[in-house]
This record gives sequence, structure tokens and C-alpha cells, in this order.
Amino acid sequence: MQVYKAFFKIIQKNILQILIYIVIFLFFVVLMANTYTDPTNMDFKESKVNTVFINHDEDSKLLEGLKEYISHNANLIDIPDDIQKLQDALYFREVEYIVKVPKGFTEAFMKGEEIRIEKTIVPDSASSVYMDNLINKYLNTARLYISSIENLSQQQLVNYIGEDLSHETEVLLFNPDPEKGKNIRRMYYFNFLAYSLFAILILGVSAVMIVFNQPDLRKRHSCSPLKLKNMNFQMILGNISFAILVWLIMIIPSFIMYGDYMFTKKGLLFLLNSIIFTLPALSISFLIANIVKSKNAISAASNVVSLGTCFISGVFVPRDFLGETLLKFASFTPTYWYVKSNHIIANIDRLKEEDIRSILTSILIMLIFALTALVITMVIKKQKYTGQVSGS
Amino acid sequence: MFLHNYIYRLKCIVRDRELMYWTLFFPIILATFFNLAFANLSEAEKFAPINIAVVDNKEYQKNAPFQRVLKSLSTTSDDKDEEGIFNIRYTTKEEGDKLLNDKEIEGYIYCDNGIKLVIKESGLNQTILKNFIDEFKQTSSTVETIMEHNPESMHSGLLDRIGHRTNFLKEVAPSKSSPDTVVNYFYTLIAMACMYGGFWGLKEVTAIQPNLSPQGARINVAPIHRFKVVIVCILAAISVQLFEIILLLAYLTLVLKISFGNQIGYIILTCIVGTITGVTYGAFISSIIKEEGLKIGALIGSSMTMSFLAGMMYDKMKYIISTRAPILGYVNPVNLITDCFYSLYYYDTNSRFFTNIVILCVFIAIFSLCTYLVLRRQRYASL
Repeated sequence: MQVYKAFFKIIQKNILQILIYIVIFLFFVVLMANTYTDPTNMDFKESKVNTVFINHDEDSKLLEGLKEYISHNANLIDIPDDIQKLQDALYFREVEYIVKVPKGFTEAFMKGEEIRIEKTIVPDSASSVYMDNLINKYLNTARLYISSIENLSQQQLVNYIGEDLSHETEVLLFNPDPEKGKNIRRMYYFNFLAYSLFAILILGVSAVMIVFNQPDLRKRHSCSPLKLKNMNFQMILGNISFAILVWLIMIIPSFIMYGDYMFTKKGLLFLLNSIIFTLPALSISFLIANIVKSKNAISAASNVVSLGTCFISGVFVPRDFLGETLLKFASFTPTYWYVKSNHIIANIDRLKEEDIRSILTSILIMLIFALTALVITMVIKKQKYTGQVSGS
Repeated sequence: MFLHNYIYRLKCIVRDRELMYWTLFFPIILATFFNLAFANLSEAEKFAPINIAVVDNKEYQKNAPFQRVLKSLSTTSDDKDEEGIFNIRYTTKEEGDKLLNDKEIEGYIYCDNGIKLVIKESGLNQTILKNFIDEFKQTSSTVETIMEHNPESMHSGLLDRIGHRTNFLKEVAPSKSSPDTVVNYFYTLIAMACMYGGFWGLKEVTAIQPNLSPQGARINVAPIHRFKVVIVCILAAISVQLFEIILLLAYLTLVLKISFGNQIGYIILTCIVGTITGVTYGAFISSIIKEEGLKIGALIGSSMTMSFLAGMMYDKMKYIISTRAPILGYVNPVNLITDCFYSLYYYDTNSRFFTNIVILCVFIAIFSLCTYLVLRRQRYASL
């Protein structure tokens, strides 16, 4: 097992470089899993729109009432009336709705004159329809009272509106899944794992394989009594050991963050899915490591493959947002099947037969990817080897 | 002499085919992937009619006002002035449950001692639906209160006034460009490509260090000042990298139609400053770390971290950093370059843009100075 040993000796020599990758990508996946918010996933209680209320008018009872009403139905966020800060918050969707009450609003409104509140929104978003509705409702009700009952004080008006608007509809939940929110969060961890795992494997495997593939070293190997088949076998074994080691390190945080959950059926399925994904990721890394010769170029190749596949397979952008054609195209990457299984695992209430079947299909496809990439690599290596022996 | 060296360094760089190919094409390929992934993203936030069901039982049949309001908001409504917001189906309760379970509808309305709403999951559409029913109940309550105080109002057109809803809101555009988050991904991509200029910087510094490469040894015995050699190498690296960045910029604007605002001069300036930052950063890393694998590891690791924190994988990361740990945003060159593009695109004033450029220049000065201090006066007793 000289080759196998040599493989790990090279890893030892490059341990600092590989550790850099592991630490950084581990940091990515943990940070992402804990800060990511899916734009398609909104909780009934949480779907309050983040709103900023800025008042340039006097502090009238009417506006107090309006603000109070908004605060019950939306999250009032306190951001100073600074154009750049507001623009920033709006751009990154920290705030989706900004209300600005102009000077003299209350007076004009109570007199029944036409005056409008300024709103700044993310164009065409559903949240703004909701907020428009809310504010218009309050003001229309107020208008209705003012025009129908004479000499109404602002305090009375606010009381009446408050009473009217306190009527709420009873909401019944039909067969809800209490763990769903948590399951989705756990799924993020495993989805992002696809990126980190892929990137580390490409960078790590390449760092080692480039040493093996140095022309002089390869020539030396070619004239050793060891058969190419045997050498490749040991090399692959070395790579698999390395990949499993990396996988083990990468799943540690999931045990720390989710505890016992990882030992339930769903948790184990997530783990199974991720270790299966490790295999195609590894053989694609092995392929890249044998094609790309320059150490500097590896990083660019790794970026294209790991980031690119993750973007089109729904790791960073929710799958619901990706077009049909794109998803079909993405199905030519193992990442697509990995993410697909993760979605099934997270979303099912109870494991049904068809779910199991579809997870198994994904696993099978990932294994086929692994095998195909491996075969291609072997063919390339064989060609290089024979070319070397007979040729130059 | 200067020009001679410059041209030869340029040739050396361009002939590293593999690195040329990857540094040029990787951002272009990634940009294409980004574009594919985001093609539908902006669409998803647009408002689509909500699928709902109504249980058609006796209590619903009795509630004529509610029926009327619901019909007016349906997509099949005759009223052309207002777009319908609900796709309504009339069903039984059992069928409603089934539709809900199959996620064909967002929720259904069920009248049983008052109007109730049944949903499976919560979300914005459900909130809108609930709000609509609330509103119906609330308006009924308003009418009752008014009738109590002023029974005459029914004859003076109260119902008309209820039907007549005024829009009290007026939209004000947030800035000169719409807040489109997708562009940020492309900005970070350019910024990251700029930092990849670091590979050229790294290569160049390796090439002139006698203890790291044979060319370095050869250059070292030539009668030319070390400082001049460094300058020439860095300039050659910057030229090549800048060429690649401009190509990327052209691809983004002309082919993918990504908006950068219209201050073309400032955009080019950002590319130049960004490229110089990237190349000098690589030179800096290369001069302080001796071992080759570690050099590359450090460069890849740091540039990926910087891109991550600038929001390349998750756009909100940039905002999280800028609100929770603003310092991290200022010491991150990728974030600074991204922020330059962002402020050109989004802000009406340029003060933030210039702040970023100045900080980047400070970085360039630090990287260059450190590289120079490490490289100067190195002497070798034996190689």
C-alpha cells in the first residue's frame, strides 16, 4: 500500500492548506444555516411586513392611532430618517415598506381635503399590496366617520376606528405540521453543505493529485513494478478515505446544533443523502484534479463547478424561483438530485412509499454520476499513461 | 529598458494558457449561471391572484352582503376597473379540506357562526385572505356605529361612500434605480474576479524571487534595480487582469444586460482600482508566505471568505455585516468594490462611492509597501 501511504504523506505536507479550506467552508455553512431566510417561507405570525413610519406632521391623535394600528399588524422598525440608510434597508429587504406622513396631513384630512401619504416600496411586491390595504382601510374608515357624523373629535374618531378594526377573523389550522419550520432550517444546513463539501473536495483532492501528476514523478511511477490498475486502486482508496474524513468533519456541527434530531429517521436520511453526495463530488473532483495542471487555476475551476452547480440547483436560490428549463439543465449535475432529496426529506409529514422511491432514485442517479466521472478519469489517465510509455 | 521588460513579462503571463483561460472564463461562466438562476427571481415577488375556496353552505347563502363583496373581488368579476385578487371555487367542506391538503388552494372560507378561515400553512397570501375577511367584518361594524349616531346617513348616501374607496397613498421612488437585489450578485462576482488578479500578483512575485524560481535567480543577477523589476511585473499583471475585467464587464452589460447605472467613467475607475487592489494583494500574500501550497491556500481562502461576506452566495450577508459589524465591511476589499458598484447604481450622491475608493487606495498602499519592505535588500549567500 505504498501509494495509499504516499497519498496521506502528501496530505500531511499540505495539511495547513487543506485545514484552511475546511475551516473556511465549515464557517460558511454554519453561518448560512443560521442567518438564511427563505423568501418563499413565511410564518403566519412572522409574515408581518417590516415597516418604517416617519411622521413629518404634528403628533396628532389621528396619526397616533394610525401608527398604533400599523404596529399591531406590521413590524415597526426604527430607522433614522436618513435617505441612505432607508435606501439600504429597502434594497436588502430589511424593510419593505416606508410610510412618510407629509406636513399638515391631519388638518387637511380632518377637513376632508385631498391629501396623500407617501409610501416607498419594493415595486410590485405582495407585501406592499397588503400594507396599502391596511393603511387605506384605516383612513377610509376615518373618512367615512368624518363625513357621516358631524363634530367628531379626533379622540372619539380613533376610539371608533379602534373598536371597528378590532374585529378579527377566527383562523383554523387544518392538519398543520408543527416541526415544519425547524425541518426547513435543518434542510438549509444540508443544502449549503453541498457547496462547502464540493469546494473542499475539489481544492483538497487537487492539492494532492497535482503532486502525483508532476511529469517527473509520473514517469518515475510508470517504471515502477506496480501495475497501473493497482496504483489507481490505492489512489482511489486514498481519495475515498480523505472524502469520508472531510464528510465526518463537516457533519459535526449538525450534531451540535440539532442534537437528538440527527438520530431520528429524518436526520439519518439527511446524513445518508449527504454521504452519497460525497461520492459524485469526489469523483468529479478527481476528474478536475487530473485535467487541470496549474495550481493557480484549480481555484477558478473549483469555483465554477461548486458555486455554479449550487446556484442552478437551488442551494442559494430557492428551487421555486428557478425556471423549468433551468431545472432540467441542472438535473445533469449531482447537486440537483441531492437538493431534491433534501427537499423531500424536509417536507414530508410521514415517509410514504413514493417518497422513499424518489429518494432512492436520486441516490441511484448520484451513484451513476460518481461512476461515470470515475470512468472518464480512468480513460484519461490511461491515455496519458500509454502516451507516455510509447511516445516521448 | 522599462518597455522591454514590460513586454516580456506580458508575454510570460499571456503564455500561461491555463491560468489565462480560467481567470478569464470562470467569472463569465459563473455570471451565466447566476443569470440563469436569477432569471425568474424578480418575477417571483410579483403579485398573482390567490386560489381560494368558499364552502357553499346555508349560512353563506344567507349572507348576501358578503357574497356580493366576494364576487366583486373575484377574477371572474365583470368589474373591469379593479383586478380580481381571488380565484374562487365553491365547494363543500370535505372538498375544501382535500383541496387544502393537495395545496391547490391557499385556504377556504367557512361560515359557521360567523365567517371563519381554514388554512394549512401560514404565509403572506393567507394573511391577505384573512385581512380581507377582517375588513368585511370591520366595515359592517363601522356601518352599525354610524347608524347608531346618525340614522339619517343611510339616506344620505352612506352605502355609496362605503363603496367609494379613496387611495390615500402615493408612491415615491426610493432612488434613481429600483432596489433590485439580483445585481448585487453580479457586483460581487466582478469584485471577486478583481481579487483573482491576486493569482497574477502571486505568480509575478514568485517569478522574481531567486529562491523560489530559476527565472528569479536570472533576473536577480541582471543589472537592474529590484524595485524597477517589481514595478514592471506588477504593471504587466495589472494590464492583463484589467483587460479580463473589462471583458467581463462588457459581457455583463452587453450580453446579460445587467444594469450598472450610467456613470461609465466611475465604473471603469472602480475596475482599475479593484484590479490594482487584487494584484497587490496577491503580491503581498506571495511575499509574506514562502511555501507555495500555503500561499495558494491563503489566497483562495481569504478571497472566498471576502466574497462570502460581501454577499456572493447570499445577498443579505452584505446587509447583515453592514448593520451588525460595519468594521468587517470596511476591511473587506471585495465588499468595498461591490459597494462601489452598488452605490453608483443605487444612490443619488457619490460620497459613499468615494469613501470606498479612498479606502481601497489605502489598502493598495499598505499591500505595496509591505511587499516592497519584504522584497527589498534580500541577499542570498547560496541558492
